[in-house]
Amino acid sequence: MPWPIDPFSLPFMQRAALEIILLAPLAGVIGAQIVLRRLAFYTHAVGTATFPGLVIAGPAGIPPALAALAVGGTYAAGLERLGRVRGLGRDVATALLLVAALAVGIVLASDVFDSGSGVDRLLFGSLLAIGDDELLATLVASLAVLAAAAFFRRTWIATGFDPQVAPALGLSSRMADRLLVAAIAVAVIAAVDAVGALLVSAILVMPAATARLFTRSVVALELTAIGLALAEGVGGLLLAFELDVPPGAAIAVLGGAAFAVAATATALAGRAGERAA
Amino acid sequence: MTALVTTSGLRGGYGPRSDAISEIDIHVDAGQIVAVLGPNGGGKTSLFRALLGELPRRSGAVEIEGRVAYVPQTERARLDFPVSALDVAAMGTYADAPWYRRLPLASRRRAHESLELVGLEGEAGTLFGELSGGQRQRVLIARALAREARVLLLDEPLGGLDRASASRVGRVLADLKETGRAILVATHDINDAQEADRVLCINRRQIAYGPPSVLDAETLERTYGGEMITLPGGGKAVVVQHHHH
Repeated sequence: MPWPIDPFSLPFMQRAALEIILLAPLAGVIGAQIVLRRLAFYTHAVGTATFPGLVIAGPAGIPPALAALAVGGTYAAGLERLGRVRGLGRDVATALLLVAALAVGIVLASDVFDSGSGVDRLLFGSLLAIGDDELLATLVASLAVLAAAAFFRRTWIATGFDPQVAPALGLSSRMADRLLVAAIAVAVIAAVDAVGALLVSAILVMPAATARLFTRSVVALELTAIGLALAEGVGGLLLAFELDVPPGAAIAVLGGAAFAVAATATALAGRAGERAA
Repeated sequence: MTALVTTSGLRGGYGPRSDAISEIDIHVDAGQIVAVLGPNGGGKTSLFRALLGELPRRSGAVEIEGRVAYVPQTERARLDFPVSALDVAAMGTYADAPWYRRLPLASRRRAHESLELVGLEGEAGTLFGELSGGQRQRVLIARALAREARVLLLDEPLGGLDRASASRVGRVLADLKETGRAILVATHDINDAQEADRVLCINRRQIAYGPPSVLDAETLERTYGGEMITLPGGGKAVVVQHHHH
């Protein structure tokens, strides 16, 4: 088989590609909401917060997805509580808890469980070592998040556009907002196996942020982000295979490059349009 | 005449100690425009919240016929959001549409008709952020119309608009009045208030309610306290606003 099809004849590459295919709809639907609602920092923070859970999961014999869900959920609840402290602000609360989670994870990994080189895998993912259990967990998480999106997508859009008025339009915006935060947490946990605790933004933020630069509707943003997530995911896999680099990092590099190209192209197009006008 | 909004002794607020509004007794018929006049922080928005059922009510009664819709100032909406004028108008129908399927044809038709009512059918596909301030205000009115509201609450709809845009929005409100809706308009402008059918003056409590003739110097002074000055010559009252940032 010719390159680039050939590497995908290997079972571990097929499983990795399937994982990307399962994550791509989340990158589109949830990624669009993350970018439109300015929740990128929260997304990154929830990803990082799963780190201590993943460190404990192996030695304790707990499924990693369950441990990540428990820690990520605790983080989201703690953030909700701390964010309400007067004078603190949600971004400060996010940063405080993020540092705390990362520090606890490092202490657990280095001094309690002696995770050694496994820390790299937890932080940056192990897409090439994805097993059937992880694929099943991603499938379940994706279906749950997409079901929530099907139910609340219109409310998310109306609330994001005009948060104060959504209740007056008969929309239950508060519940929808809480569900969006929970859906992002579940999407993050689904993506952690593939790209690690530190690089979840490569899947859930970068494609949508790039698509946002040149799309003019929410549907176009979602579909373009799905396409970019697939292209960057599969491209990153090939890069990782050929150059023997971690796949999570390769996907993040491709995502960053795609964003830089799109940002430059749209800026140049904007200037050309101004000159013509 | 059918009364669409009736309040008696309405009192409410968020904090435990002070009332945001009190002693509000109004009666608004179908086809009436009511100007709600008062200083910043005087309770105009709180009154709207009370009519929407969002402000905790401590005493009194509110009776409303049909749906109520709130039209905020345009700067409250996200101008960078990738939504067209039609998308925004259609948001008024979201609560009625089944979640599991595409927006029904009837809902989309309602959104189109609402845009037509505010004279913006030709801009249906234009991004909200690319419209002028007056057009954006009309799109937000269209969203309220798509909600099939009989009572419209508009928060300073003419604020920040140039004279031509303000006049266009004013004509839209006059047209809507003819369709039998009750329209409450929060405003700072005493001249605009004099064009309304009724005027409600509030400063945390009701100062006066009645035809525009209630707007005498004494009522305005009680409404605005030391914030009112009178220009020499024309005798027009101008309100000096303290903006809180």
